[in-house]
Amino acid sequence: MAYRVGVDIGGTFIDFCVFDTATWELSTLKVLTTPADPGAEVIEGMRRLSEKYGIDPAAVESFIHGTTVGVNTVIQRKGARMALFTTENFSDVLEVARLRMPESYSLFSTRPEPLITRDRVFGLKERIRADGSIHTPLDPGSVRDALDRATAGGVEGVIVSLLHGWRNPAHEEQVADILRREAPDLFVFTSHEIWPVIREYERTTTAIINGYVHPRVAAYLGSLQDALKESGVTAEPLVTKSNGGVMSAELGKTSCVNMVLSGTASGVIGGAFVARSCGVENAITLDIGGTSADVAVVIDGAPQYGMGEKIGEFPLYIPSVSVTSIGDGGGSIARVDDFGVLKVGPESAGSDPGPACYGQGGDQPTITDAFAVCGFLGHHALAYESVSLDMDKARAAVGTLARRLDRSVEETAEAIIQVTVSSMYMEINKLTARYGIDLRDFALVTFGGAGPMLGCFLAKELHMRQVVIPTTPGVTSALGGLVADIRNDFVKTVFATAADAIGSIPADFEELSARALDWLHSEQHHAGTHTLHPSADMRYTGQSFEIEVPLDPDWLVNGNLAAILDAFHRRHDEVYAFSDSDAEVQIMNLRLVVAGAIEKPTLKALPPADGPADPVRDVQVWFGGEQITVPLYERDRLRAGQTLAGPAVIAQSDTTSCIPDGFMGTVDAHGSIILALQEVS
Amino acid sequence: MAIDKVTLEILSNHCRAATESMAYTLYRTAHSTFVKETEDFTIALITPAGKTFAIPLDLGATWFPGLDYRNVLDMVDGGYEEGDIAFTNDPYSGYVATHSPDLHLWKPIFHDGELVAFSSGHIHNTDIGGAVPASLSRSLVEIHQEGIRFAPCKLYKRGELNRELLDVMMTNVRQPEQNWGDLKAFVGAMNTGERKVKEMVAKFGVETFHQGVEDLMDYAEHQAREILRGMPDGAYFFSDYTDEDSESERNPCRLALTLTIDGDSATLDFTGSDPQLTSSINVPTGGYAHHTLMLVGVYYVLYTLNPNIMLNCGLTRPFTCILPKGTVVNPEFPAAVGMRSLTCGRLRSLVFGAFSLAIPERMPAAPAGSSSIVNVMTTDNTSGRRIIAAIDPVVGGAGGMPHADGPDGSGADASYLKNTPVELIEAEVPIEIMRYGLSPDSGGAGENRGGLGTWLEFKVFSPGTRITARNRDRTRFRPWGILGGKAGRPSNFIRNPDTPEEEILGNRDTLTAEPGDVLRFYGPGGGGRGDPLDRDPKRVLRDVERGCVSMHAARADYGVVIADGAVNAAETESLRADLRAAARPSGHFDFGPEREDYEKHWSRDAYDALTEILANLPVHWRFFVKSRIFDAMNAADRGGAETVRAAFAEIAEDHPQIRQYE
Repeated sequence: MAYRVGVDIGGTFIDFCVFDTATWELSTLKVLTTPADPGAEVIEGMRRLSEKYGIDPAAVESFIHGTTVGVNTVIQRKGARMALFTTENFSDVLEVARLRMPESYSLFSTRPEPLITRDRVFGLKERIRADGSIHTPLDPGSVRDALDRATAGGVEGVIVSLLHGWRNPAHEEQVADILRREAPDLFVFTSHEIWPVIREYERTTTAIINGYVHPRVAAYLGSLQDALKESGVTAEPLVTKSNGGVMSAELGKTSCVNMVLSGTASGVIGGAFVARSCGVENAITLDIGGTSADVAVVIDGAPQYGMGEKIGEFPLYIPSVSVTSIGDGGGSIARVDDFGVLKVGPESAGSDPGPACYGQGGDQPTITDAFAVCGFLGHHALAYESVSLDMDKARAAVGTLARRLDRSVEETAEAIIQVTVSSMYMEINKLTARYGIDLRDFALVTFGGAGPMLGCFLAKELHMRQVVIPTTPGVTSALGGLVADIRNDFVKTVFATAADAIGSIPADFEELSARALDWLHSEQHHAGTHTLHPSADMRYTGQSFEIEVPLDPDWLVNGNLAAILDAFHRRHDEVYAFSDSDAEVQIMNLRLVVAGAIEKPTLKALPPADGPADPVRDVQVWFGGEQITVPLYERDRLRAGQTLAGPAVIAQSDTTSCIPDGFMGTVDAHGSIILALQEVS
Repeated sequence: MAIDKVTLEILSNHCRAATESMAYTLYRTAHSTFVKETEDFTIALITPAGKTFAIPLDLGATWFPGLDYRNVLDMVDGGYEEGDIAFTNDPYSGYVATHSPDLHLWKPIFHDGELVAFSSGHIHNTDIGGAVPASLSRSLVEIHQEGIRFAPCKLYKRGELNRELLDVMMTNVRQPEQNWGDLKAFVGAMNTGERKVKEMVAKFGVETFHQGVEDLMDYAEHQAREILRGMPDGAYFFSDYTDEDSESERNPCRLALTLTIDGDSATLDFTGSDPQLTSSINVPTGGYAHHTLMLVGVYYVLYTLNPNIMLNCGLTRPFTCILPKGTVVNPEFPAAVGMRSLTCGRLRSLVFGAFSLAIPERMPAAPAGSSSIVNVMTTDNTSGRRIIAAIDPVVGGAGGMPHADGPDGSGADASYLKNTPVELIEAEVPIEIMRYGLSPDSGGAGENRGGLGTWLEFKVFSPGTRITARNRDRTRFRPWGILGGKAGRPSNFIRNPDTPEEEILGNRDTLTAEPGDVLRFYGPGGGGRGDPLDRDPKRVLRDVERGCVSMHAARADYGVVIADGAVNAAETESLRADLRAAARPSGHFDFGPEREDYEKHWSRDAYDALTEILANLPVHWRFFVKSRIFDAMNAADRGGAETVRAAFAEIAEDHPQIRQYE
């Protein structure tokens, strides 16, 4: 008997997802978060798992954890106090950033204050040229001066990021040596070791985020390791990464930047896994929580990756699963402005006090309250029985707007839902235009506490034909950790025309491959199979941005320039709808992803049954401007192959699914509900 | 009857979705850096009458949410049919295009044969032909030098491209491939808009759609009027200058505004602004009372005061502009207009200044007001290759805000520019960047300090290296401070600074540099807001620690004495008392010594006299007479209205043809 445990720690709950590798049984558990005591909830969760399901901690063969500790450290600005050592005369790299401001029409638009303020940025006497040659040798005296001033200012660590450090790391290494020798108490990260790419701001800020979260992440993972030991779990814990893979928690203590987006990425991986298990290859994953919705695009079963994902207000330039965050969640507050227009969000009641209907002191009308008023909620204990529904409070809160809109409370609630759907429609529309995709070829995979509530309404608005609601929508992120591969990214900046670069490409690829395999085997002790996925960031000469082009390893080994160029032109045409086979092409970076395969659990098959599912009873809901009677289904009772038709409500302990008319649902072999939008006249 | 307010919000979201989709489609598929990096394009949906009712917020330039296409729509022959796409880039045909590189497109959208909307927008072509590469130079004096122009006509007729017309354009421009690439992307965006509007009409019904877009404009109008209602009634006069009116004369160009707020509406009277110039910094408006270029500053003010405001033509309704003919803000054909963006920058400062008089408690001090992109054309000594590249923009900080310091480096109305990483520049262009960052002490002192300007310094290694930096300004007249705050430091351009060969180049926008030359650019600093002697000494100390303010300036400008890394409270208090006692009484604005000196000659009276004289003259005489009066004023010991009139009398004496206007 053995178990694999996926754990996702969010703001309110910890989700546990447990696979019994012998029976393929999936169990889930939610525990309230105790932010003051990291590790305590894990101990509590393991205790409850063993109590409730008889799971022996010693039988846990892998423990995979997704956490928001990294991203929260940045958002709450509770990270390390650090100094930045950079090249003299370029000390404003963080203040100036890329110059552009976040808002274009506001006279008050501001950049966020850098994580290292200018008084702790020190310019060193040294200069490397773009070709890596030394213009001015490093003056060790300037390092010592900077160190004196930094320690006088009280810092825990130093980030070293020098101009052209990606091309020639010699000076960064010399500085790090001096620091490690003369100030062994300080942690030191250099920009070339974190992510050695051209572009000083991007490289520097990425190294800074790594250092900024390092002490807290290391402490957190340390207490996680201790907690597991105390619980009797002997397996080395793994953490999920921004790139959708996993790595050992031990490595996470220093490669912190790679796990900053751990939580959001595993949601997408989990969503993509569920989609695939239903035979869906192209999907939009929609994870709606209390304050926001995370949207991602899955094409051919794979999440899309990007650079520059936002960590709070700061961009992170390592390959990460691309997730767009929208400010609409179950707790988003509705209001009426002075022209009488109904607005929803971006203000949110969050999880504290939460929606009015949670009865925890909230009195503002939220999206969740609107669903409650319409009669969709309250038929089943919410959020694993930790919340009970106060319908009167929901009505009172929505009622404050009803008077101003001159509508009934129910009509107002439905209007709140419609406005919310239209604003999410707008955001997802932008995403599809950015990717140039046609949503009619995509299914909406919707999860998170509020996803299945809104998903079908949104799909209808977006003209999407299919919606997938996973079996346990509340724990999809935890599931994502269970199905993720051991994965790491490697990069070598080339920055030359393709013709000039091709000579050294076979050697560069060999070097990357050697590093990748060393990481996989020596650091991660992976014994199973693996795959290598090389790619290159390429552009036409003169362009100021590049695209990632997947490449065949054989082309790199053999230096096949024609094949590489052809792949670039085709990719450029796919992404930007044009290409120019006569134009000169540059290779910016050669990249390599190594993925050590982890055996994927197969979701357990539900017992089959034929024909329509049996509702437990009828309920009254307000929908389409009238009170109607619709069937209520309980998720636990649904069987593989059963069908149901909208309008309907499906209740389960972690969410409520609202199915409008026009949708025909089928329960698939593993319990996911696949809803098809019928052509309605 | 208006549609209900819930449907209105839903329609508003769908309109925004449509325009954002159009913008992303254009951005994704366009070829040129003007679209990809500078984002010099706009996208809109307009009513059958030509009013902009929806724009995107994520991408594009900020100038055209109130653009009205009504004049150009009727200039196209033969009415509109499904599949048509019309275009123009002529600044003098309907005043929609405002310089010739800007190509505007519009596509009619039909529902059951009825015209329901147009998708529209503009794109800045890197080059549209004419006298100079990129088509723009201050020195050009008539529109014909600024490239090929197309009066409004159909580029596509019922889906069929007019290839002959396209060939005419391609024959006349320097980078036809790039123009065509962008144009194709633009057509794709127009088609996206058409599809989206059709979806909206299907969803909402044609009646609701028609009424709804009108309601969206009423909504914006309501929001704008609410903001105006919250301002005190009154007439607020303000003037500001560009440093140079032309490359030939280099006298200041004055822009004047009387902002009259009356209840929930406002008049912007630009009388007193300079005559139409014999250079290309004129702003073509056709005298249209709601012209969007004259209201860009207003959009910023309204958006800043209410970030939820709808951006569409409805915003422009409460505002009426008075734009006298034959002036820099309403030039007559064929005045050159290519570099109108330089003047537009100052027009925004002008509007900000006037509003700061009306609502000082809610407005910031002047932003830098000058941003220019530095281009280098040089030869790689290793490969012998000629390299042309945009280096970095030289920008300045925002003005001190009511609640905080002005952002450093960029901000306020110059928020959209991106820089180029030093590492990329050096890898691609054979120059050495010696310094890139912020310029200490450049921000205007104030209780809330003005943002610092940027500092860019580089060395070139090849003979005949051409440097260009368009739109340079504010090297003479500083970004002003308000409410006791000081003006920001002006910008500058210096060759071989801190050497015996140092050469101050001021607003020069082109230069040939030789091997070993070092070029330094400073952007202007934003103006300060509030008395610097009231700034918390701890904030001054923090500025010193962060290198934004020098020890010297901390003492001299802020009266803060810092010793051993700490504020000396007692000495600070006594120094501040001394400085307060010695201070001159300050008005609402602090302009810095250059403008104060200038206005000793060129008082408001003197300008009133000049305006009166020039307004009476035929347009083709105005710039000449202005320049000669300036010559006389520069030579005179004292200025004022009398000197102006005397100078004109002498000029009329020399030129009998104009005596009748005396």
